[in-house]
This record gives sequence, structure tokens and C-alpha cells, in this order.
Amino acid sequence: MRTAQTLLRMDGVCKAYAGVLALNHATLEARGGEAVAVMGANGAGKSTLMNILGGVVAADSGRITLDGEEIAIRSPRQAAQQGIAFVHQELTMLPTLTVAENIFIDDLPRRGPFIRSVEMAHGAERLLARLGCAISAKTPVEQLGVGDRQLIEIARALRRNARVIIFDEPTSSLTKPERQKLFNVISGLKAEGAVVIYITHFLDEIFTVCERVTVMRNGETVWSSLISDVGPTRVVQLMLGVSENEGRIRTPIEAIGEQPVLSVRRLCREGVLNEIDFEIRRGEIVGLWGLLGSGRTELLHALVGLGPIDGGTIEWNGGDGPKEITPERLRARVGLVTEDRRGEGVLLPLSVSDNVALPNLMSLLNAWRLVDRVRQNALADAMIERLRIKAADREQVVSTLSGGNQQKVVFARWLATSPRLFLLDEPTRGLDVNAKTEILKLVVELAGQGCSVLLVSSELEDLMRVCDRYLIISRGRLVGALPGSADVDALMRSIATIKNEYEAAP
Amino acid sequence: MSIRKRAADFLLQRGFAVVFAIIFIFFSVATAHFFQADNILNIFSAMDPLAITASGLALVVMTGRLDISVGSTAFLSCSIGALLIRDHGLNPVLGMLLVVGCGALLGAINGFIVVVLRVNSLIATLSTMIAYRGMALALTDALLVELPAPIRFLGNAKLGPVPINIPIMLIVLILVHLLQTKTSFGRQIMAIGNDVTVARKIGLPVDRTGFLSFVLSGALAAAGGVLTTIENGAVSPFLGDGLEFTALAVVVVGGVSLLGGRGSIFFGIIPGAFIFEMIRNGLTNLGADPYSYRLVGGAVIFAAMYADALKSGRYALRPQS
Amino acid sequence: MAVIAARDMSRRQPPFVWPSRQRAASVMLLATALIAIEFYAPNFFRYHNIINVLLQASLLSLLAIGMTIVMIVGGIDLSLPANMALGAVLGALSMKAGAHWAVGVAVMISTCLSVGLINGFAVARLKMIPFVVTLAMMTVVSGATVWLTNSLSISQLPDTFVDLFDARPVFGVPVAVLIVLVLGGFIAILMRSTVAGRWAYAVGINERAARVARIPINRVILASYLFSGLMAGLSAVLLTARLGSASANMGNDGVVLDIVSACVVGGVSIYGGSGRVPGALFGALLITVLSNAMNLIGVSYYLSLIMKGVVIVAFVAIEGRREGRQ
Repeated sequence: MRTAQTLLRMDGVCKAYAGVLALNHATLEARGGEAVAVMGANGAGKSTLMNILGGVVAADSGRITLDGEEIAIRSPRQAAQQGIAFVHQELTMLPTLTVAENIFIDDLPRRGPFIRSVEMAHGAERLLARLGCAISAKTPVEQLGVGDRQLIEIARALRRNARVIIFDEPTSSLTKPERQKLFNVISGLKAEGAVVIYITHFLDEIFTVCERVTVMRNGETVWSSLISDVGPTRVVQLMLGVSENEGRIRTPIEAIGEQPVLSVRRLCREGVLNEIDFEIRRGEIVGLWGLLGSGRTELLHALVGLGPIDGGTIEWNGGDGPKEITPERLRARVGLVTEDRRGEGVLLPLSVSDNVALPNLMSLLNAWRLVDRVRQNALADAMIERLRIKAADREQVVSTLSGGNQQKVVFARWLATSPRLFLLDEPTRGLDVNAKTEILKLVVELAGQGCSVLLVSSELEDLMRVCDRYLIISRGRLVGALPGSADVDALMRSIATIKNEYEAAP
Repeated sequence: MSIRKRAADFLLQRGFAVVFAIIFIFFSVATAHFFQADNILNIFSAMDPLAITASGLALVVMTGRLDISVGSTAFLSCSIGALLIRDHGLNPVLGMLLVVGCGALLGAINGFIVVVLRVNSLIATLSTMIAYRGMALALTDALLVELPAPIRFLGNAKLGPVPINIPIMLIVLILVHLLQTKTSFGRQIMAIGNDVTVARKIGLPVDRTGFLSFVLSGALAAAGGVLTTIENGAVSPFLGDGLEFTALAVVVVGGVSLLGGRGSIFFGIIPGAFIFEMIRNGLTNLGADPYSYRLVGGAVIFAAMYADALKSGRYALRPQS
Repeated sequence: MAVIAARDMSRRQPPFVWPSRQRAASVMLLATALIAIEFYAPNFFRYHNIINVLLQASLLSLLAIGMTIVMIVGGIDLSLPANMALGAVLGALSMKAGAHWAVGVAVMISTCLSVGLINGFAVARLKMIPFVVTLAMMTVVSGATVWLTNSLSISQLPDTFVDLFDARPVFGVPVAVLIVLVLGGFIAILMRSTVAGRWAYAVGINERAARVARIPINRVILASYLFSGLMAGLSAVLLTARLGSASANMGNDGVVLDIVSACVVGGVSIYGGSGRVPGALFGALLITVLSNAMNLIGVSYYLSLIMKGVVIVAFVAIEGRREGRQ
């Protein structure tokens, strides 16, 4: 490998959102012809840093130098002019237009009023050839797979001779051969002397693709080195930091003797979930531990019919012996807290009282078959008190509550239906430390009353405070189980284990 | 793949041709007069205003919006033109240009309401549909506006055996087709129809393009109205009545998705308009009650819409997320 | 992620500042109308005219209630007037053919219910677009009505039918007005306090969240269109009795405009999830007063259409939420 000069340098970059510091003097250094992995847990600040580099948001302070010159980036357009290309995780493809049109859409080559189709097609094919891809430029994008679309996205980025190319989770929806193809493309870009900044949640990939690694945590850059200086476990430790041991809320229990409430057998969804087998017993809190994109949210969605399944069975024990059950019927029996609180959890314009009552209306009817206001209010008041929801009163509109209190409203709604099982997807996302603790205490309280809980969280500390055992999920497959007594290292090792699936990129 | 899905796929891929063929053969066999060169020419001639109006509407539909004011736009602009020609002796050629300009202006009002005031396009054009019609009826006192003889003569002009309005329609549609396929504007329309958010992210002039699509829709609706007016030699109080629906039907039957971003002007609108006019013509030849057209037309659009819904899933008046 | 959290913060505006502005606009509209009436149309306050306005308003109210329910669930039903006309014509034809008035009423209501059922099925199960489904339905149904009647009006209906529904039992208040008042109160309670009503709002506010909260979305949507069909049927009965005849013209374009404007003026959101029945009743009354006043002042019918169009656009623009991705 030739030694390259530092091409891109970001120094002392700070950014605060509404007073909350997202970046605190973050730094990043990258050399020509090398790929640098930017790693970090959710909220570590890597997206913000990349958005600043890509001109999507403006930094509060800090310096960016490119090729020794200090540059100012105020918009995506300016970033592009400086030769910085951003391949977003969410592709910006226009499916019914052709490949060539998608590449050139924001600046179509014209003669008079008309597009120079032939020239455009040649241009597109040249760019794609550089990426080792032989798609016809006249194909509509909707006929192509995600991998090819990604290449087109890259081609659009390369149109302006990019010197720095940012890949934001490029492989999250690619198949194995597609991934390999992408790695080849990245090698090609490196060979041309470009800087590649690579963001991913898949640890195995950075060891295949990248020469350097930068780890961020809590808005700061905590580590930068050659990739060969660290191992996967070390990266995970750096990402997550030493767990500030808040202490367990309850010691793990062993629910061996109890009956399973839910048994899942061979649950499959093509390309997403693979032969999922597990059971949850009465009164236990099971943590589903995996990195983002490992299939944990998809698993929860599939269980309750919010996402499709291709095969497998779900058995439910409602107290009268196990019975096979459809996902839709399971949804009617469990308390479900989804990841997207504002989009799927609460109904924002309604009051606390109305939100809590929504799935419980049938049990609040009076003799006239009308919803009894008095009983509804009593229910709402009881829940506000029991969950310590901080609202002015039960009539406060939910959209004006804080995130933690909105989440409590979602819990309150299900509590009143007294479900035997809670499925919780990132219940603590976006909450401050106190709110988090309150939600976690609530989870323990529920389990103490005999509820079972399946808990998904990307924050290991949270899981470690409440879980009785862990299921480890990776790439849509349950790859292991750990007891509640497992320590941080064991848990980190469990997801950092790399199966040697990929050969090193040439 | 379920049977339903497979049937739907078949309907999407070839259903159009199959239905077309069945109807065509049915009318040819059932009536003596239908399958004759001059009758086919008749159909082509009669469908011209519809096809031109639908091509404009298609531009709006391709952006993922709707314009149901097209019939009223045609009526109002033609009324203004006809009144000026009759009462103030305006030069007919200038008059026609004025009518198209009026249409563009009315379209611009729609565009303004939708793009600047951010009113849902359905509600906006529903309101202007009825308001424009009201305005035109007020101007004409709901009476027939007759045009002077030379213009009426134009309606019978022919190129050899072919009525002159057929080549006019073909030229207009080819121009709109080129606009849609070969210019940045046309591609931006498709981009918006694919996904507004993405189009905005890429940095396309989303609002300008959306606005212009309404302007064009208005202008083309007025142009369609001009053809009808010339043919009739007068502006009747029923000009463009129900045209918004027929034009929408033609657009949908022609394979332009109501979700936007999909469809072809020349290869969609012409067969779509032909089917509708053919049904009307065939039913007349059969001696069916003229009032039954709407019923049959409605059934056709229901089927076409169902196919469209299967293809693309539902979308509602409001944002889903 | 930090970026998302920040975006959430910026979005955390109270989303419902607008209705108060809308309410202010409605009140201003009413005030303007009353002032104009005071100066230009003193005849307005005559007993006959007031009763006439109330009658018209009550018929419009029925349709507006139907539309309100559909809009709350997040749809729209443009076929309401056409549906009403078809029901009226079929019922009138059956009575002319010698059927008992009760049979006539049953025919009207069941016809309208079936049209509503088709609409609901197409939207809820076939996942078709409400606006286009009901636009198509409007065209088909009005086409059928014109075909059935040959554009003629069907009159000389049995006196028992006309007398029964055109009666003025209490203080000369027409029975239609009473029916609408009772029904309006009933539906208002229904929407506020029954499970179905609460479900309707929830589906209209956010379909996904409603699904997660175990609400049977498809049933709710279907029911809303069935209900608007029922309202069309009831108004068919009352309007036929009032006119003593039925015709295709009962459901002309202008009526759709009246209904939609009554709803938006009454604070019903076209984006779903908000709106109240009393609001719609108020809207219907206001629109009828406006039409009547414009008529008395001598504004032509056509100009009144334009003004209604302007009212709709203005109110939806005031509501001011971003145009949805359609």
C-alpha cells in the first residue's frame, strides 16, 4: 500500500441541536486512497458529522480542510462542487425513470429544449463502467435490484469527479454478491486516490473494506487508528464505552419451571428472518440483543402481523394451554410498543385520556353502550398516577407531552388491557436518563406481576439493567443465547463474532 | 402468487388490448355500419377534443395530482373567446389564441391555489371546476353563443378524406409527448410523480414544475374546447360538461397511474380516447339510449382504476406518515 | 439519533392552532352575511323565508353529516348528491307503480345504502382512492338516474307520502327540520361517545397508529361510506316529499359544492381526524343562509357558485396543513 497524504481533515467540529450537544469537538482525518470506517452507536454523532461534511447541516464551529485548503460547506450543492459526494442510506432513486435519467436528473444535458439522450446514455454508461457495472442506461430503474440502484446512486455522486465519497450504511439492504460488488467498487475508488468514508453497523465489513477506523461516542471522537491495530471486540467496546453501571433494577430470575407464554418455531421471512426459534416464559424479561439492521425490529413486526412472514408457527398460551395463533390474533393479545412512537404509538392530537382509552373502549361501556366518561376518566387518572405520567391533567393533548411521558401513555394504554406479554421495540429511544430509568422500572414492575416481556434495545446498558436472559440476533438469525448474568464483554463478543463470510476485497 | 394477483397482472399487462379487441369485434359484428373506414375516421375525428384535454390532464396526473376543472376551464375560456368574437368582432385567429391564453391563466389560478396556498389539488380543482362553470354561465346567460359563418365553415374543413382536426390532434399530442419525454420539464414532472420528497432532495424545481403542469393542463383543455367549438360552430352551455370525468377516465384507461410518475402521452392517451369514443359510437350504432354512455364509461373506468389500485396500492387525501 | 431527535423538536409545535382561526373566519363570514342581509335583503326575515331556509339547511345538513363522517375517517364521498337523486327516483318510480309509501321509502334508503356499500367496499377492501371512486360513482349513478328518468321529473306521488314527510307538526316547524335536529344530536353523541365514533377519529388521525391500537380499520372505513349512503337515503325521502317529485337534477354539481363547503366552513378537516357534527350543521346553515341571501340580493346563481368555490379554497388554505402526498 502506498503511503498517502492526509486529504481530508475535520477539526474541532461542534454542533448543538436545541441546546443539546450532538458533536463536541469531533475530529476526522482521512487519506487519499484509503477507506476510513466511522463507527459509533446510535446518537454517537457520526450522522451529524457526515451531514456537516455533506452540507446537509451546518456546523456551529470547527474547520474542514480538503487537500490543505480550508473550505466552507453550506449546502449539498457546495459540497458537491468541492468534490464531496454523499451516498445516502435511503436511496434517492426515481423508479420509473431510466438509469441515465436518474444519474443526470438534476442537470440534464440539452441541445435547445431537448435532452441529448444519446450523449446522456453514453455518459451514464461510462460512469457505470467505471464502477464495473454493465447495466444498459435505458433500463428503467424499477427493473433493477437494490444493489444496482446503489451503484447508480454512486454514479450520480461520481458525476462531478468526487474526491471524497461518503457511504452511509450502503450494505443494509444488499445481498451477498451485491455487497461483494460494492466492495470491488470501493477498491476501485481507492485505487483512483479518492477518500472513502464508510459508515456501517456491520463490524465484519470494516475489516474487509477499510484501512482506518475512527470511533465516535457521545459526540466525541474517541479513537482513530489503523484498522489492524484493533479487533472487533475492541471496536464494540469503544463504540459502547464502559457501561456506566447504573445497577440492575432486578437480579435475573430463572423462569425454567414456568410455562412458555409464547413459542415461535422456524419463523422465516425471505432475506430478512431466518429460522427463528425461541420461547418466552411467564414473568421473564427477554432481551433481544443485536446491532441495528440485525432484524430485531423486523422480527417484532413479523410476530404481530405488521410485516409479512413466509413460514413458521407461533404458539400462544393464554392460560388454557398452548395454541397455534396467527400474527394478527397475536396482535390482539399483546401490548405492543413500536419503535416509531409518534407515527405508530400515540395519536398526537388526542388527549391523554382518549389515548389511554383507545384499545379499552369495549370495557368502558355503560348501560347505553356508550363510552362512560366517568370510567374513562377514572382509568386515565389511575394510569397517570400509576405510571407517574407528567401531564397537567388527563385532558392534555399528547403531542405536547415529553417523549418519556408519551411513551408512558403507550404503556398505559396496554396496561389496562392486562396483556400477558409485552413486545417492546426501543421503548427508551430518545429519552433522557431519568425517563429511561422510569420506563425500565415499569418494565420490571410488569414482569413482577407475571407479564412476560420481549425487549429490544440498541442500548446495552438498558438491556443489562433488566433482562433475565438474552437472545442474540445477527443478520436475521438467532445466533445464540446468554444468561442474565452475562457480563458486558460476553455480550459484546457475542455480536462482534465475525463469521468469515467475506473474502478480503482485492 | 395468488390467483388474484396473477389475474391482476394479466389485466395490467394485456388487459387493455384484450378489452379493446373484444369491444371492437363485438361492435363490428353487432352492427353493420361500425366497421367501415368513414366510421373509424368519425371516431378519430370525434375523439380529438377529448384526447387533447386528456393529454393536458395527464401531465398533472403524472405529477401525482389531479385537475378536475378541465371541462369548466374549456367552457369558460371558449365562452370568453366566443363572446369577444361575436360581440366585438375580434379576429377569429386572435380569438383562438386568446382562448388558449385564457385556459393557461385559469390553469395558473389552479396552480397558484395548489402550489402556493398548498390546498389539496382535488379540493382546489373541485372548487374551481364549479366556480369556472358558474362564471361562464353568468357570462353567457346560459345561452348558446353562435359564431360567425366563416368559423363554422372551418369545422368542415378536410385534408382529402381526413377531417382537418385529426392532424391537428396528432400534432398537439406529439408535441406534448415530446415535451414529456424529451425535455427537462417533462422528466421533472415524472420525477415529482415518482416521489416529491426525493425530487426536492435532489434539488429539482418541484413547485415551478407543479405550477406549470397546471398551466399546461388549462391551456390544453382550452385548446380541446376550441376544437369542439369550431366543430359545433357555437359554444353551448353544456360544453365540457362531464369532460373532467371522461378525460380522467381516458387518462386512467390509457395507463397513466393516478399515483403519478408512470404513463405515456401518445401511446396511452390516443388508445384511451379511442376506446371511449368507440364505445359511444358503437352504442349509437346499436341504437342504445344515449344516456347509457355514462354508465358503460363508468364501468370501464372502475375496472381501469381497480387495475391501477392493484398496481400501486391506495393513497389517500392526506399524508400517511 | 441526534439529527432525528432535533427534527422532532422542531416539529413539536402544537398542531392544532388553526381551527381557532377557522372558527374566527366562519364567524366573520356569518357576520358579513347577516350585515349584508340587514342592508340589502330585509325580506330574509319573513316567516316563510326563514322556514324555507331552515328546510333547505336541514336537507343540506343530512348530506353534510354523511360527508362529515366520511371525512373524519379520512375519505371523501362525492357521490352523495347523485346517490340521493338515484334513490329518490327509484323510490318515486316504485310509488308511481303503485307501491305503498313505506315501500317507496324502503327503496330509497336501500338503494342509497347499496351505493354506499359499493363505495365502502372499493375503498376499504379494494384499496381504491376515495376521491376517484366516488367521482366515478357520481358519474355512473347520475348517468343511471338520467337514463331512468329521461331527464324528466317524476311527480304526482301519493299524497300520504308527501303529507307525512312534509308535515309541520310543531309550531309550523317542518318535520324535516325536527328529524335533522334529533338525528344531528344523536349522531353527535354517537361520534363522541361510542366505540365506533372513537374509532372513526382514530383511523382518520393516523391509520397506522390505529392499526397498532387494534382498531379494525377496514370495517371502520366501510361503515363510514355505508353511513353516508344512509344519509343520502334519508335526504332522498325528505327532499322528494318536499318537492313532491323526484328528478335527476336533485343531485347536480352545485350540491356537491354546498356539502363540501358546509363541511369545511364547519371545521371538518379534509385530511381526516377532526371535525364535529354540530360544526357541520352550523356550516350547512351558514351556507344555506348565504345562498338564500345572495338569491334575495339578486346575485345570480352562477356567481354564488363562484363565491362558494372561493369559500372552500379559502378555508382549506386557512387550515394550512401541507398538501398531502397524494
